[in-house]
Amino acid sequence: MLKKRLIGVVTVRQGLAVQSFGYSRYMPLGKVEIVVENLNRWGADEILIQCIDRSKFKLGPDFNLLKRISSVGLSTPVIYGGGIRNVSDAVQVVNNGADRILLDAALWDSSNEIEFFSKALGSQALIANITITHRNGNLYWNNYRRDQIQLIETNFYEKNQLDCISEIMLTDMNNEGCNNSFDEKIIELFPSNEKSLILFGGLSEYNQIQRFLSKNNVVAVGVGNSLNYKEHALQKIKQNLKGIAMRTAQFNKSEK
Amino acid sequence: MRELKIDQQYQTSITCKSCLYSINHPLGLTIDKNGICSGCRVHEEKDSLDWNVRWQKLLNLIQPYKVCNGKTYDCIVPVTGANDSYYIVHVVKNQLKLNPLLVTYNKYFNTPLGIRNLANLRIKFNCDILIQNINPISVKAITKTTFREFGSIYWPCIAGQTVFPVQTAVRYKIPLIIWGAHQGLEQVGMFSHEHEVEMSRRYRKDHDLMGKEADDLLNNFDSLSEDDIWQYRYPDDATLNSVGVRGIYLGNYVRWDPKVQHELMIEKYHFMGSIFNRTFDTYDHVDCYNYLDLHDHLKFIKHGISKVTDHASREIRHGRLTREQGKKLVDYYENQPLVHVEKFNEWLGIHPSGLEFLVNKQNNNHISKFILPKNSSHEFTPNELNYDISIINKKLDYKAHANLNNDEKDGYIIIGKGYKN
Repeated sequence: MLKKRLIGVVTVRQGLAVQSFGYSRYMPLGKVEIVVENLNRWGADEILIQCIDRSKFKLGPDFNLLKRISSVGLSTPVIYGGGIRNVSDAVQVVNNGADRILLDAALWDSSNEIEFFSKALGSQALIANITITHRNGNLYWNNYRRDQIQLIETNFYEKNQLDCISEIMLTDMNNEGCNNSFDEKIIELFPSNEKSLILFGGLSEYNQIQRFLSKNNVVAVGVGNSLNYKEHALQKIKQNLKGIAMRTAQFNKSEK
Repeated sequence: MRELKIDQQYQTSITCKSCLYSINHPLGLTIDKNGICSGCRVHEEKDSLDWNVRWQKLLNLIQPYKVCNGKTYDCIVPVTGANDSYYIVHVVKNQLKLNPLLVTYNKYFNTPLGIRNLANLRIKFNCDILIQNINPISVKAITKTTFREFGSIYWPCIAGQTVFPVQTAVRYKIPLIIWGAHQGLEQVGMFSHEHEVEMSRRYRKDHDLMGKEADDLLNNFDSLSEDDIWQYRYPDDATLNSVGVRGIYLGNYVRWDPKVQHELMIEKYHFMGSIFNRTFDTYDHVDCYNYLDLHDHLKFIKHGISKVTDHASREIRHGRLTREQGKKLVDYYENQPLVHVEKFNEWLGIHPSGLEFLVNKQNNNHISKFILPKNSSHEFTPNELNYDISIINKKLDYKAHANLNNDEKDGYIIIGKGYKN
């Protein structure tokens, strides 16, 4: 049985690690590489770095940031998202140290090219980020750059060529950054498929995370803001998950 | 420091409309679409939160840490001869009814007034205190390295102040550490009060230590060795977890207002303040010759911000200054010369030209020349400005009770315990 994962999410805006609330309000946290280094020491199963303004301002991927992160010497796999416009960007992102990439803007702008991303990197390296709002029993996929939405229907995967992507990250846009608030309807209403799901946005409490990770198609949850409030916040989540196949909490012991 | 070009890239404003901070604040800052910074937004919570509810949360939080058998302490409280130490101990001992072990790190830049304040603190509150003295040869060696490498003469002070309480918590198995306000929250709105943020190694490394922990100082091209830095090492995760160490901030549960608090402590416990050359606040950092002098100047030339901007922004948020008045204070104090540099040269054993070389190495073009005032952009003549400053200071009414030397010999008190009445 594959182990489930707890992903530490680092949101980056204007080069700074921030707390984000609904992708509309931000609080500064500090240097990205130090936040990432800390998650690595804590034993996160994966680290997602999402640079939320690179596509909006057409800046491309933040290669300098990736180089700085690579120099930290991480043992944790890194997912990078932000500013990836085409296959060439994606390959460079991997060459600069990311293990996997999170596609977001490219899903809207270059949807015909998704299979080329897969051919270049392998589908296991691709995650699609679907930012969702739930209204009146319907799910909508948001293009935050253009105030554009798409109703999510049963043919969602075929319509958007997502078959060649390994995992889908469902981001609860309205509840992103808030404690204990991921909208359960998103899971209920999202078209069922064999695809593995990662959930992000409003996940913070042990019971809540346990409940979602118990679902068969949910392979991982992402936690962002709340990991910055307490020492060992990530390990404490892991310690409080019961019956979930997952790497155990890790408390590093210094040899010095 | 993040570069200014970033705001052109992202088309966002760089300076808060309400306070005096810009996105170049060394702790990081965000500005919202209305032009208001994250620090001002979090400060607004001080007037909207129900502080009675928050106090109750604090009472519930500390309850499990009360030791009933009298064999050890309930908590650790890091203190100095300045800052908010009196008020923190007042809340912990008198209001929370805890039995704290006070801990303090000897930074060696001690003023006689700071030593007096610290001695008065432990006497008035009748608390036990542990003082950590690291051997001065190592402290000087580290200071030379951090000064040369990243322009900080204060790294050992901050590293010691932030690690000694944690080491003591582990050594004595006293899991709860109580700090005053969280600077990231108070200054730049890094967290909401309701996030109830706690002490973390990540924050310490990133913001207190400028990204360098003790072991990061060691390299093949420097003479520092493990013998110098080991006392600044943060306990590892396994050790912290085994003791259950956690550090909480009173500022999340008490409406934090340093001026009001200091004045209460002056009245009740005879805390003493002093006039500084480079800021109007007479209470912060009276224990140190360098914090508001050479250290402040280094902060200014590296980041374009000095402590008076922190103080003025805080007073603007508390409604005791207008933004215009705050700006005048910053324009005036930022330009004042340093007055304690010779003591530092003598202590570290460096020539003034060596100091000047090291300082200028850090200059990020925020000022043109070492120690000389920068070319201020204010539109007032010096006399007009001096007049304005005296009016504003009179209105603020910060109180000073003694010189930093407290009428004793002017110089660092390397080891100080008591004072003459």
